[in-house]
Amino acid sequence: MTRFTFFGGKGGVGKTTVSSAYALECANAGLETLVVSTDPAHSTADVFDQEFGDDPRPVEGYDGLSAMEIDPEQEVQDHLMELRQQLNAQLSATMVNEVELQLEMAHQTPGAYEAALFDRFVEVMRTADDYDRVVFDTSPTGSTLRLLALPELLERWIDRLIDKRERSIDLYEKAAIGNQEPRRVMEGDPILARLQGRKERFEFAGEVLREDASFYLVLNPDELSIRETARSLETLAEADLPVRGLVVNRLTPEPEAHEEGRGATYLRDRVATERERLERIEREFEPPVVATIETRVEEVRGSLLEDVANDLEIGVADDRPQTE
Amino acid sequence: MTLADRIAAFRTTLEEWLRGLYHGMFTHPAYEKVEAEAEDTEDAFMLACFPDAFGIPSPVSYYTAELLPYLEDEYQAWERRMWDRQSVIERKGHQYHF
Repeated sequence: MTRFTFFGGKGGVGKTTVSSAYALECANAGLETLVVSTDPAHSTADVFDQEFGDDPRPVEGYDGLSAMEIDPEQEVQDHLMELRQQLNAQLSATMVNEVELQLEMAHQTPGAYEAALFDRFVEVMRTADDYDRVVFDTSPTGSTLRLLALPELLERWIDRLIDKRERSIDLYEKAAIGNQEPRRVMEGDPILARLQGRKERFEFAGEVLREDASFYLVLNPDELSIRETARSLETLAEADLPVRGLVVNRLTPEPEAHEEGRGATYLRDRVATERERLERIEREFEPPVVATIETRVEEVRGSLLEDVANDLEIGVADDRPQTE
Repeated sequence: MTLADRIAAFRTTLEEWLRGLYHGMFTHPAYEKVEAEAEDTEDAFMLACFPDAFGIPSPVSYYTAELLPYLEDEYQAWERRMWDRQSVIERKGHQYHF
């Protein structure tokens, strides 16, 4: 059984709607479910019409459903603050400024957001014992999914660092001839301990992602979103994280046969184009289309969410999509 | 002072000298060499940790930033060595006592 479900896709395709609906479906099936949103715009709050914070909070009006919203910006800031405090405790005043600069820089690198998010994901996965299901609504940037492909890369990097550090300490120890105190000692080296800790986290993440998680991509029946999906599929396949299924959202509803007039004609054309694309998606992409959701007139929230949840054919109880 | 005492004193001085000579000629250069090697490895480590100090973005700088509070000595020494190093020979040359 997979406990963690990730929904990814281009921005604006309706990931939040789909993941909320899926979470609701899980909850209705009697599973204790948590929705985690990483979108800084926080649309889960809109879907359920309530505010959520950094900690899981039960969604009012739904049994067995909790939600939390992660703000990557905030995470980065918190991380920076925490390190600053340690810095002040550990370093001499002269060095603080020097290192402070380095710290700020590290927190403004392009990867900082992803790293912070990743950290938080791992944290959530580690402490998710209370929940039978955790649904991640990943942020619109393609990077979130790429980030999940990262653990192995990071592991290797950390390994290299550990190796270098060990070698230099070893040399220092050897350089200390006779009664000389070596400049660094292997035992209790805080750097090695830190790196080791990191490595374990990456290993944990890699294992969980490979064995206990499933990925779904949400897309709309339009060119851009199809192309983006093709790219995401590649990235995830490279990382050995196969996508379980595709959810095609925002399909245009078909007009009744007797309806004529401009609106109906337009819709009919539109539906025809979409049908073609849908067929293409089914033909060209390996993962099965597990759900197709029609456009709703209103924003999906409240009772509409139940409707959408019913549209989803993603298996809740077993780990295989039912359409297979 | 008896003869025996004088011989003993002479021998102590001689021993001290010999030890100094041995240390200066063999132990110390060897020690220096190994330590220089250790410093080089450490430089490589630091560079791998903080390539963004040179404007190279690193996927792990967010994580390695966590090490900074513990790297005070290393960081200072690293910076100093980076400043000092105008050429490879300059640093590597230090090891040889001509």
